[in-house]
Amino acid sequence: MLLEIKGLRVVLGSSEVLKNISFKVEKGEVVGLLGPNGSGKSTLLRTIYGILKPSGGAVYFDGRKMPDFSLKEVAKRLGYLPQESFDTGLRVKEVVMLGRTPYIQGLSFTEKDSKIVRGALSLVGLSDFEERRFSELSGGEKQKVLLARVFAQQTNVLLLDEPTSHLDISSQLEIMGLIRRIAQNGCSALIAIHDINLASAYCDKLLLVRKGEIFAAGKPEEVITRENIREVFGAEVEVRRIGGNILVIPSPRRGADRKKWVHVICGGGTGSDILRELWIHGYRVSAGVLNALDSDWFTASELGEVVDERPFSEISDESFEKNIEFIEKSDAVILSNLIVGKGNLRNLEAALYAAKLGKLFVLEEEGFDERNFAGEKAIKIYQEITSLLPKSRVLKDRYEIIEVLDESLN
Amino acid sequence: MIGFSATKLFLILIIADILALIAGLGIGSSGVGLSDLLMPRSAVVSQIILDYRLPRTLISMIVGAGLAAAGCSLQALFRNPLADPYILGVSSGASVGAAFVILLGIASTINIMVSAFGFAIITSWIVYRIGRTEEGVPVYTLLLAGVAMAAFLSGITSLLIYISAQDMYQVVFWIMGGFWTANWLKVEVVIFPVVFSSVYLILSSWNLNAILMGEEHAMSVGIDVESFKRKVIAATALLTSAAVSVSGVIGFVGLITPHAMRLIAGENNKIILPASLLAGAAFMPFVDLISRTATSGEVPVGIITALLGAPFFLYLLRRSKVAA
Repeated sequence: MLLEIKGLRVVLGSSEVLKNISFKVEKGEVVGLLGPNGSGKSTLLRTIYGILKPSGGAVYFDGRKMPDFSLKEVAKRLGYLPQESFDTGLRVKEVVMLGRTPYIQGLSFTEKDSKIVRGALSLVGLSDFEERRFSELSGGEKQKVLLARVFAQQTNVLLLDEPTSHLDISSQLEIMGLIRRIAQNGCSALIAIHDINLASAYCDKLLLVRKGEIFAAGKPEEVITRENIREVFGAEVEVRRIGGNILVIPSPRRGADRKKWVHVICGGGTGSDILRELWIHGYRVSAGVLNALDSDWFTASELGEVVDERPFSEISDESFEKNIEFIEKSDAVILSNLIVGKGNLRNLEAALYAAKLGKLFVLEEEGFDERNFAGEKAIKIYQEITSLLPKSRVLKDRYEIIEVLDESLN
Repeated sequence: MIGFSATKLFLILIIADILALIAGLGIGSSGVGLSDLLMPRSAVVSQIILDYRLPRTLISMIVGAGLAAAGCSLQALFRNPLADPYILGVSSGASVGAAFVILLGIASTINIMVSAFGFAIITSWIVYRIGRTEEGVPVYTLLLAGVAMAAFLSGITSLLIYISAQDMYQVVFWIMGGFWTANWLKVEVVIFPVVFSSVYLILSSWNLNAILMGEEHAMSVGIDVESFKRKVIAATALLTSAAVSVSGVIGFVGLITPHAMRLIAGENNKIILPASLLAGAAFMPFVDLISRTATSGEVPVGIITALLGAPFFLYLLRRSKVAA
């Protein structure tokens, strides 16, 4: 293994910024460091490079303890790019040539150095920029020049502190693509990064840092979960998988301030309007059991939680029980004007259970017989349900629902 | 940027230095002219050239070169365009040292020189110690410490001037700076620290480029920033103290020369640091020439550097703005 961090502790002033951090970076691996502002990502990179001295633990490079090297020797092994840099009127080739500083004696660069600089600039696609002033470049171009500078250092490991912040999306993708390309040649990278989606797409491994500790580590799909994001960032998000990628979508709508929870038993598009109305009026919503890809399923997953079943499959025991669990936890349950067939008959049983708990409201815009395709058994259950409910809880119009709910719940 | 190649710039500056040396030796108020340089009319004439004009011109070149190089280095080190060689309180320290000796009535050339040098070095050392924190020497605390120290010492100088009454003229004249007391002893005193420090600064010029992008950037290419800062500060303090001790406080040259070079040749210290040094060495004897020939007496050089240097700088600034 190339880089190993063992039990690293860093104390700045009176606060312990890093507590017992341990991990490894293998050859050619791209590792993303995720975590909220102030979680210790930059401190970790600076400590690994040797700018900050750890109060405990150590950094090993190729099996050797880091303090064995002078800063100049470290610079030949670790390519560190700090987050902030000052603007300068230096020319682009001069900025990239700074990467050769650890290799020179005095002031004399060799033809080899110039060749490496030209190579690094062509790698980032800025060969024509050699004579331009750094300060005249765009944000994305500047970042690419700085990357070329680290590439020119010809190190085995890159330590990059938010190389994509403040950049537009195309520059972000370009920068991450460049890092990937370098990694293919065996150079490892440890990148502090804020964009979870970008990190998941380009990193082999992610380290989720919280308050100076590694909260989770592993492949992106293992690390990026709703629970982890909530725990570490305190943010409510959806985590979706698209192709091989992880996609994190903010869902501020599902805040904890929605106090009353209404569960909707629906399907085939009969619940979408109800769910939206409820959500607009400040209710926390859930729905179930729904087959994935059902039109109600899309609405419900957007607005709240869903108990779902595979497409075109009957309701399994597992989903049925989950549905019952939601019914128990919620404050009210609505049975939509749904069509009942063999596949979703158990949703009717669940509604009966809700009726027995006294939580059920039924929307009956059409007679049950007209939408029943599950035979006698379904009619019996439905009759039992309606017999348990007062007339005021069987509604003929979906626009009455909110009014009735508001009255009975608040 | 006006767009000179580095080689062309160096060539022009070296020619300017040679011309400045010839003008410094061949022009003056005593009637000794350029023709006397090759064939002196008399022994007195060659004495004027060798014992008076040569050391005077050399000192002005050394001081001009040194101050410009120091200014260039400190502007890069502090990433501050307003930094000049006196930022660490050297000038105010030296002024107190000189005024003190003059007030005590022991104002020989040597005494003024030693006292000014000593006070200057001690002042910059105190400023450095005040500006230092546990983690190193942050630029802003150092600058603030320098400004505060300079204000305090200026107060003391003013007080000494106020007390000294009849010697006031001498103190004020010394502070304004000039080369009229130049002699070979002063050349010998000033040449070693200035050459030594300048060589060190030129060798550090590439590392100063790295500092331009921020101290962490410099560390990321393997430069031990704190130790480097210490050395550059020490070198400039030594250089500036030596220069001030032989010539008094000559302003502007250390501030403006590097900027003029930047406007012409870009930001690369590897080019503009030696260029500043050569330009300072050409500019200073030229200004001194004006100071000794413009009127029947001597106009302090500091006045002329300000009167000439500032408008020239504004012109360059204006021109580079238009070009950009």
